[in-house]
Amino acid sequence: MSDVGIYSLRLALVIALLGVGSAIYAGVARRLDWTRVAERSVWVVAICVSLAMLALFAAFAGGDYQLQYVASHSARSMALPYRLAALWGGQAGSLLLWLWILMAYSSGCVWLHRRTSRRLMPWVVAVLLTNALFFLVLVNFVTNPFEKLPPGAVMSDGSGLNPLLQHPVMMIHPVMLYMGLVGFVVPFAFGFAALASGELGTAWFRTTRRWTLFAWLCLSVGIMLGGRWAYEVLGWGGYWAWDPVENASFMPWLPATAYLHSVMIQEKRNMLKTWNLLLIGLTYTLCLFGTFLTRSGIVQSVHAFAQTPLFTSIFLVYVLITAAVFLTALLARRGQMRNQNRIESMVSREAGFLLNNWVLIAILMVVFWGTLFPVFSEAITGKRIAVGPKFFNTLAGPLAIFLLFLTGVGPLVAWRRASFVSIRRHFAWPLATGLTTGAAVWAALGGVALYALLVWSLGAFVTATVVQEYARAIAVRRRVHGENALRACSVLLRKNQQRYGGYVVHLGVVLVLVGTAGSVLNRERLENVRPGDEISIDGYRLQYLTANAIPEQHYGGAVARLALYRGDEPLGVMAPEKRMYWLEQQPASIPSIYSTLREDLYVILTAIEADGSATFKVYRNPLVNWIWIGGGVFVLGTLALMWPHPSRSPEPREG
Amino acid sequence: MSKGAQIAVGATVIALLVGWYAASNLEAGASFTYYKTLAEFRVAPDATTGAHARVHGYVAAGSIERDVAARQVRFSVQNDPVGSGAANGAPLEVVLGDLETPDLFKDGAEVVIEGMLSGAGEDAVFHADRVLAKCPSKFEPETAAAAL
Repeated sequence: MSDVGIYSLRLALVIALLGVGSAIYAGVARRLDWTRVAERSVWVVAICVSLAMLALFAAFAGGDYQLQYVASHSARSMALPYRLAALWGGQAGSLLLWLWILMAYSSGCVWLHRRTSRRLMPWVVAVLLTNALFFLVLVNFVTNPFEKLPPGAVMSDGSGLNPLLQHPVMMIHPVMLYMGLVGFVVPFAFGFAALASGELGTAWFRTTRRWTLFAWLCLSVGIMLGGRWAYEVLGWGGYWAWDPVENASFMPWLPATAYLHSVMIQEKRNMLKTWNLLLIGLTYTLCLFGTFLTRSGIVQSVHAFAQTPLFTSIFLVYVLITAAVFLTALLARRGQMRNQNRIESMVSREAGFLLNNWVLIAILMVVFWGTLFPVFSEAITGKRIAVGPKFFNTLAGPLAIFLLFLTGVGPLVAWRRASFVSIRRHFAWPLATGLTTGAAVWAALGGVALYALLVWSLGAFVTATVVQEYARAIAVRRRVHGENALRACSVLLRKNQQRYGGYVVHLGVVLVLVGTAGSVLNRERLENVRPGDEISIDGYRLQYLTANAIPEQHYGGAVARLALYRGDEPLGVMAPEKRMYWLEQQPASIPSIYSTLREDLYVILTAIEADGSATFKVYRNPLVNWIWIGGGVFVLGTLALMWPHPSRSPEPREG
Repeated sequence: MSKGAQIAVGATVIALLVGWYAASNLEAGASFTYYKTLAEFRVAPDATTGAHARVHGYVAAGSIERDVAARQVRFSVQNDPVGSGAANGAPLEVVLGDLETPDLFKDGAEVVIEGMLSGAGEDAVFHADRVLAKCPSKFEPETAAAAL
């Protein structure tokens, strides 16, 4: 079965090469017949890669431990879902997954748009298959997942997957993340095609609008799931540590978000053509770069896998070439993309969007330099100087606050030039809501948490603007059309999808930021207790009952039981675990979390001491749940943005 | 003023503001950190001056002692990996003023200790306020790797 994988990857490589050749020829010579050839090679490559995926899944399911990759990332004792998900537990398999998702996107977008985007299509296919070609070279020659162990080294069982990765969230988190990172190839390919073909109108981004939103949604969900996993599994009390791997997924999100905003200016006012192309180029380059960071291990962290110099150097060269080719095409067309309009006033929606873009790019700069600082410092001074979370928080925090402010103001200011009357009409009561919230927080907490104070006040302000916008529009529809509130809402979302869907997304972002700002008030305690003793923290009491050995097959260790009370009211039993995975010789602290809308109580068993006592670390984390709730709202909003409505104008046709 | 000049001036002002903000808010110790290896630390001047330092080493085999009553963990650190055969010299005694140690902290673990040195020569003790255990940089199977 594994031979099927090997040969289909070889075949895919050849077909992709032919496909790139015919696509470029079709683009240069404007030959429809060769475009067809190129399109068909996309399907063939997609089928070959799918076969390889199936073969690898089969190898994992059936326990084909002749394959080095299968042997080193799974074991017979693992449950089937985890054995299958082990496919993306290491480098070679992740790259195959990348490739497969790329081909899924490629065949989908080529199939759907081949008739409407005739002029763009050869170049779209050229970009898609060039990317596929690179990953095919990797999985064929550099890290082949089907590589066999020498006959003498084959064992009857594999060595298992990193136990921390054996978690339900970890089965979908990498897939979501890759669906996000890879998905930006679609707008990137169409953007490049626009440059290469000279079709510089709005077709390239209108056609790819839903693809871009979908990729953005997947990336956002992937990032959130990563945080959730860290919170539930890594046992350090937090969900985001500005770890290089986290940053790698966050970096492309920033220009992508900027792009989604600024593209609206091009749609409405025909401005910023070059800037939008630049943003989508930057986004996709950072997607590749993020994959490179996590896969090359250049910045050490939990996810960094084996370091192979060949892999590192060719991947980096590939990222640089991608960026350089795109930039060259952009510069070559620059003269044809002069803006017809300019910004008329700094108090206008355009200016708001532009500021939003600058802030997002500034945050990107902070994250980029912070992440790569150790690499540069080591290269220049020989010393690896790490940059702590404080660096990121200090610099990105104020930028995030400013962004939140813009989130409230931007959508309400008129295009071109806002009048004073309209500003007063729109902002009177949101401003009052924000100030009242600020005053209430100040009264309750004083000035201890300036960051939280600002985020919560601005959060209330933005929420009020959104509620006001909906309320006014619904009131108008009720008066004019006699619709009920629910029906009016759905009509609004259909008729002005971008605006009203966007508000819901903003609400989600506000909730996420409100939740993260709760961390300013985090409390933690480390206590050593004997059975019967209590730990108290902020009105909670934890009584340590017992500790037992864990009766599991794959890991041992201890599970402690603590009775949780608020005052005298019993809330339940918490059971944090200290595990040792035998096969992998890896320890893990699994926290126990008591979660409410107000706060989480998060308990870690630090150690069972030799004298029979136990040491616990207890955290009280306010508002964490709102991060996940905000994530849910965000998803709903983005789905509303993407929802296909037959009444909307059909897909733009060229020429 | 031309549009280009306006943008340049604007960008410069913003860059200066950000730079000023960054310089005034980022303390060297909290935001930028690097470590010395134990051997470098021993010859460095701040080994004796009692300044705050970060030192990299390996936990000497069998040296970990948890003292619950005193809320301390005592262990010693050597310059080279346990079992590497390198001449390690006398290990550095470390006292961590806390019972909280990371999951990966165990005999032979690669660690970075943060704190300061007190005493000199034989009596030197490193008082750590934090211990970071380094993640194994790769999680490749030992069985398969050894077989190759």
